[in-house]
Amino acid sequence: MQKSKKIVILGHFGVGKTSLIQRFVKDSFSDKYKVTIGVHITKKIVEVNENDSVSLIIWDLEGTDEVQMIRQAYLLGTHGVVFVFDVSRPSTFQNLNSDLKIVAEKTPDVPLIIVGNKIDLVIQDELQSLLKDNNIEANYLTSAKTGDAVNEMFTHLATLLNDLT
Amino acid sequence: MTLLSQYKEQYINQSIQFVVIDLDGKVLESDQTFITLKQGGFIYDVHPFFISYSSILDSTEDSMTYNCVHLGERDMELITDVRIIKKDNHLLLVIYDLTEHYVSYQRIAQARNESIINSELVVLKNMELEERERFKNAFIQNFSHELRNPLTSIISITNLLEKTNLDNEQHQMVDFLKESNTNLRLLLDDILSISMIASGRLQLRNKVFNLLKLLELIAFTYTSKTKGTSITFLMDHDKKIPEFIEGDRLRLFQVLTNLLDNAIKFTEKGTIALKVVLNQKRANKVSLRFEVNDTGIGIPSEKMNSVFESFTQLNEEGKKEGAGLGLSIVKGLVELMGSEIKAESKSGKGSSFYFDVTLTYAMNLASKPIGNTASKKVDITKLKGDRKYKVLLVEDDERTQMVLFKTLMDTNLFFIDLVNDGAMVFETVINNNYDIILMDVDLPNVSGDQITKLIRDFPFKNIKNIPIIGVTANVFEDNIDNYLKIGMNAVVPKPFDFNELLKAIVKLLK
Repeated sequence: MQKSKKIVILGHFGVGKTSLIQRFVKDSFSDKYKVTIGVHITKKIVEVNENDSVSLIIWDLEGTDEVQMIRQAYLLGTHGVVFVFDVSRPSTFQNLNSDLKIVAEKTPDVPLIIVGNKIDLVIQDELQSLLKDNNIEANYLTSAKTGDAVNEMFTHLATLLNDLT
Repeated sequence: MTLLSQYKEQYINQSIQFVVIDLDGKVLESDQTFITLKQGGFIYDVHPFFISYSSILDSTEDSMTYNCVHLGERDMELITDVRIIKKDNHLLLVIYDLTEHYVSYQRIAQARNESIINSELVVLKNMELEERERFKNAFIQNFSHELRNPLTSIISITNLLEKTNLDNEQHQMVDFLKESNTNLRLLLDDILSISMIASGRLQLRNKVFNLLKLLELIAFTYTSKTKGTSITFLMDHDKKIPEFIEGDRLRLFQVLTNLLDNAIKFTEKGTIALKVVLNQKRANKVSLRFEVNDTGIGIPSEKMNSVFESFTQLNEEGKKEGAGLGLSIVKGLVELMGSEIKAESKSGKGSSFYFDVTLTYAMNLASKPIGNTASKKVDITKLKGDRKYKVLLVEDDERTQMVLFKTLMDTNLFFIDLVNDGAMVFETVINNNYDIILMDVDLPNVSGDQITKLIRDFPFKNIKNIPIIGVTANVFEDNIDNYLKIGMNAVVPKPFDFNELLKAIVKLLK
């Protein structure tokens, strides 16, 4: 059995979690919003270096504005977490730091990556001041639509998880 | 098989699958209800979800339920709840097919989320528009203030230039310059008004005023304005409208004159008419309709909605002068008055603009003959003695000078001295024994209120106590209160009613 790592993608609804996965796994994008319910699970083999690869099991979770409500079973045995917010909708990042705290409590001792998605919808300068004003330190600023930083983000996480074992 | 067992088989068993796997994930047994699993194959090769089985091995729990797990492939939807139960040396998986239930749940969630996101986006969009609007108004307000200073210099210098030795041609050019200055100032005032209305900074100052007099003033102004043109101005008001109402006189004046100016602008010949109709009177409230009609070019129906927008002029080819702010100001002011401006028009036949406004009607004042005394002849015999009074007229506007000079002289009661520069006033006052001073406020060099202060602070009573009447166009309540506070005995607003001015003079000289 190949070395596999489970990651969960969390965040409010409509932030583009499914689209990020779609871009990463199938390199495609749809403007049409389809609400995810429950969980969709996909697998992608990620080359982390010339001789090594990881089977990334990506759990695309139903978005929720109450992080506390995430079903514990989904988080069981996860190796990494990606928390996504939508840079164009303040309601998805207004409580980001307290949301992250809850996530960290629910998934202790695993790497957590913070992603601001939909950067194609905002002006670069405004984005930086927006993050600063809200005291947000995002690890990646992505666009599932243009593909900006999507592969880098997933590959980085896969590498990180591979190195941890 | 009993009937009940048959039904159970049909309705329940078809939607539940049982699978037994060993601790390595190898399929030992499966009832194959909806997922076909090869005996001896690894379950995680069928779907990546099943790798989860290993998580439970590390957990202290005996069983774990995963809700709403999508196990379908491509177009085949299969949404399940999966229960994994630890047994002695194997695991039991119970998979419930709940596709139908979850699909309907998905539709509800879809509608809910879409509606939340949309309303959020609408709020954001509005915030952005408001922010832009605020910025625009602040910009306009600052900008028009900034423009005012150089414009004031231009006006002052033009006035100085006018007083130098000029030939006819130069005189004409100065007149043209003065007219352009006035137009520019009016335009700036309009821009400032519109941005103040838009930013909510403009507030009405309601107080009791004489409506009939306001209408008389308008009638006089527009009869003069249309004299010698092909337009006739008509005024028609209900005889029963109250004389005194509580409202913002200045803003009502602005609304009506903007409507009339607009009518003149778009009417080449025929009539423009101001009509005031009494809708109803109840207790101390009166509802009035103000209506301005013209026989001008009219407004095409498709343009009807845009006439009240700022910077819109209908006939862009034959564009008339102005920035198209007049009607937009009217709209804003009428809304501030709690009403709505309406327009009806036939292209080529003319337009009608009207609004209904409910105002407090001052009953106690209406019953008293106060309004009439002003227009009645003032009893000048009340002035004691048989001497003439010495009046100092401080005024820089030539036309006002002329009017005041002539009308005061006609009474045969006064000697009149004239000063048109603020810097000259004090010296003139000290060197003469004036009985009264008529003081404009906006004067070159030193303003009328500053001069009043100087006079009131003078140590000798004969100077200190000379009655001063402010004659000014600064008619805001704050200004008037301020002028009285610094020592003016009375303030007569411009444009003034001569009888009212005379009445104030008589009262102070008595």
